Amino acid sequence: MSTVLEQIEQQIAKLSNKAVKKNTGNIRTVADGVAKIDGLSDVMYNEMVQFPGGAIGIALNLEADEVGCVILGDISQLKEGDEVTTTGKLLSVPVGKELLGRTVDALGNPVDGKGPIESKESYPVEKIAPGIIVRKSVSQPLFTGIMAIDSMIPIGRGQRELIIGDRGTGKTTITIDTIINQAKINKVGLASGDAKFRPVYSIYVAVGQKNSNIVRTISALEAAGALEFTIIVAAPAADNPANQYLAPYSGAAMGEWFMENGMDALIVYDDLSKHAVAYRQISLILKRPSGREAYPGDVFYLHSRLLERAARLDGKGSLTALPIIETLAGDVSAYIPTNVISITDGQIFLETDLFNQGIRPAVSVGLSVSRVGSSAQIKATKQVGGKLKGELAQFRELAAFAQFGSDLDAKTKAQLERGGRIVELFKQPAFSPLPIEVQVSILFAMQKGFFDPIDIKKIVDAASSLKSFFTTRKDALLTEIRTKAALDKDLEAKLQAACEEWKSSFAA
Amino acid sequence: MAAQAKIAQQFARQLFTLSVVDGAVSAERVAGVLDYVEKHRPANPVLLLKAYYRLVATELAKGEALVEHAGSIDDGTLAAIAAAMSRKYGRPVVATAKPNAALLAGLRVHVGDDIYEASLAGQLAALASSV
Repeated sequence: MSTVLEQIEQQIAKLSNKAVKKNTGNIRTVADGVAKIDGLSDVMYNEMVQFPGGAIGIALNLEADEVGCVILGDISQLKEGDEVTTTGKLLSVPVGKELLGRTVDALGNPVDGKGPIESKESYPVEKIAPGIIVRKSVSQPLFTGIMAIDSMIPIGRGQRELIIGDRGTGKTTITIDTIINQAKINKVGLASGDAKFRPVYSIYVAVGQKNSNIVRTISALEAAGALEFTIIVAAPAADNPANQYLAPYSGAAMGEWFMENGMDALIVYDDLSKHAVAYRQISLILKRPSGREAYPGDVFYLHSRLLERAARLDGKGSLTALPIIETLAGDVSAYIPTNVISITDGQIFLETDLFNQGIRPAVSVGLSVSRVGSSAQIKATKQVGGKLKGELAQFRELAAFAQFGSDLDAKTKAQLERGGRIVELFKQPAFSPLPIEVQVSILFAMQKGFFDPIDIKKIVDAASSLKSFFTTRKDALLTEIRTKAALDKDLEAKLQAACEEWKSSFAA
Repeated sequence: MAAQAKIAQQFARQLFTLSVVDGAVSAERVAGVLDYVEKHRPANPVLLLKAYYRLVATELAKGEALVEHAGSIDDGTLAAIAAAMSRKYGRPVVATAKPNAALLAGLRVHVGDDIYEASLAGQLAALASSV
């Protein structure tokens, strides 16, 4: 009893004697979410400052006689002359597994009505990206579950792969498919009890999107059972530009926690075009000099410092980034798209024409590339799909020429037939990613000509039938492909036999 | 308007630099500046003088420790505060007392844009924000 009282007395004594130093300033002007402040002589760049009424701001412009701050939160109560104090802290967000399954704002506050988040740690929002020494080359695959991507444009853990295309071409769908696929793989892997299995946790950052779209995304993830492995960082269109500017960095901080603690994470930035627009707005209000398309001079650095934080660390985990860029009328040579293309390790280009032709996902094979290449592919995929990209490219070229004449030699006709079948085979409905072992089985059947006798219009049905044949009747074979990750002679023979069995049942 | 304000700001800064002698604002120089502005009427005199005022006020505040207190405070304490602040900032600081019953107990010292909070009201506010 007396110990408790002593503790309280000590606390009182500490409170009574300690003088707390604060550095203060006064608001000179407030406009469009940005405050100009007199004073704050001790403020650091990117430091959090406290406004009256609980709003916080970030010091972004340190000038000779004033400080420019973006305000996060309600600015309606702020007025000229209000006192602002420094906090001595850089902007930080809560991190950790406690955030999984939750939707948070750019500051890490829950916005899903599921109660407070009991996070034990926080990470600074802005952090210098890992250097050269600590990095490791990208060599472990990250399966998207989309056959066209996993077989031709493989993505590795720690890679930055841009997803670029016009509006309504399925950019977000690809990323949601990828998140769903990670959740499926995690469930299988964790259930297997394999000690070496490394789950991939996902972070989806929604910047400048409609709230209804964010809700739709959350519902899709929830329906697929992927939300429990996912953190949603939402900075919708209705949020102020400061929150939209910060959200990707907050998401990156959350992803870095997984990476630093020996886990793998995937982060989706949806999308960086809107992020650049939010930053342009802030920069113009802060009266920073504007350059091309009125973007500030450091708009490249805005994205490079964000995307450089994705890495595979030696002896630790990885953070894979899938940034999204929306183009206008397919113009990939605009300012922001070219910037992000040059920063990332490849891009998946989605074409409106392909989408409208019913080829979904509308991946343009010619313009899409993964600079990590086949080092991020398992051997089995290389064995069955190594030549696919070349075959498809040849098909597109031949198809263009074939439009001008009908007299084609047998070889050209065969190439066109095969190309048409590959295109059909790669059609995949939204939110139904395929496990890599099923992809290998389907591509094996393609490689061995099992789809050749089938009418081209029935290829999608045939692929679907083959998929259900393997998943319902050849589970042991699929498990063997998954665990071996390469096709030896024995496995090839088993696959051949299984395909023969399917062929007879499908024809019947 | 923004460009005019910027020019006025730059001019005010030049006038302020002229007003400082040996690291302190000189009353004589300030009077000289005011006299110059009245006689020569530069562009946007109001903007210029407002900017000049802000610079001078900020500088003067750095040399003054405004000691807000609840209850009484003796000259010895004020002198001790002035000496401590002069030592800390490396420039002469004069302490001025200002009663403030809202502090409940203790002191609050303002030097420039720094505040040293040692009042009960301040601690209660900190406690309230941490709960």
